Amino acid sequence: MPTAYRQDMPPEGGFEMIKYKRNLPFRGPGGLAILGGVLAVCTYGMYRVALGNLERRELRREKTWARLHLVPLLLAESDRDTYRRQQAALARETEIMKNVEGWEPGKSVYNNPKHRPQEFVVI
Amino acid sequence: MSYKDGTKSTLGPYVDPTPLPASVPQVAELGVTSAPLKSAAFFIGAHCKEYNEDFMLCKNENRDPAHCLLEGRRVTRCAADLINKMRENCVKEFNEHWGCLELNNQEYYRCRKPERTLNKCMFDKLGLKKVIPGTPEGQTQIHEVENPIHKRMQK
Repeated sequence: MPTAYRQDMPPEGGFEMIKYKRNLPFRGPGGLAILGGVLAVCTYGMYRVALGNLERRELRREKTWARLHLVPLLLAESDRDTYRRQQAALARETEIMKNVEGWEPGKSVYNNPKHRPQEFVVI
Repeated sequence: MSYKDGTKSTLGPYVDPTPLPASVPQVAELGVTSAPLKSAAFFIGAHCKEYNEDFMLCKNENRDPAHCLLEGRRVTRCAADLINKMRENCVKEFNEHWGCLELNNQEYYRCRKPERTLNKCMFDKLGLKKVIPGTPEGQTQIHEVENPIHKRMQK
């Protein structure tokens, strides 16, 4: 009596191939292109930085010259003020020391004729 | 400072209100704050060149404040004259520019727009031109560059 079974056989046309090959679809530009792009962007950026540095140098000179143009004006004003205070101090000293013999008001303790600013200023 | 009488000061008893000796001619101090001075700096440099150089040469001879009082008065008078002229001729542009400087940390590069109108007005009315000495040959002066890298908005 024949046994009721069915031999398990490969499907019609055989098994399909085993998928052992890499399957990586193309996504975006290649490595060289990205490297080149990054390099290009960086080069442009550094170029702008260099231009900006040159420009900052000019801006600094502009600021310096603006200040230089104002130096005589401010110096003249502060000179008048210093002179006024010096004269007042001299008058004060003369008044205070009038009874001291041999005292020269306003005499410097140095023998150098070069001008030096006063050490003490009454504000 | 020198143009305050000192008597109203709250600094205490050490204020010296003594005025200048009568032998020295009086000159009205300029009394202009920093932003208008900065706005007018290059015009002062152009307008008062001779007086400024004379004063600085005199200071080079001797640093004593008594030595250059005459030259100093001339410098101050010239600057006051220029400020008055600016206020007569270009007061709107002048106020705009120094107001802008006041609001922008007194940086010229952030105030190019009002500066250009002021420069134009000063050149048209008074014939004074802003020139920055030492700019490399053949290069546009930095205040005339149309599209600079450093401006109000960093890009």
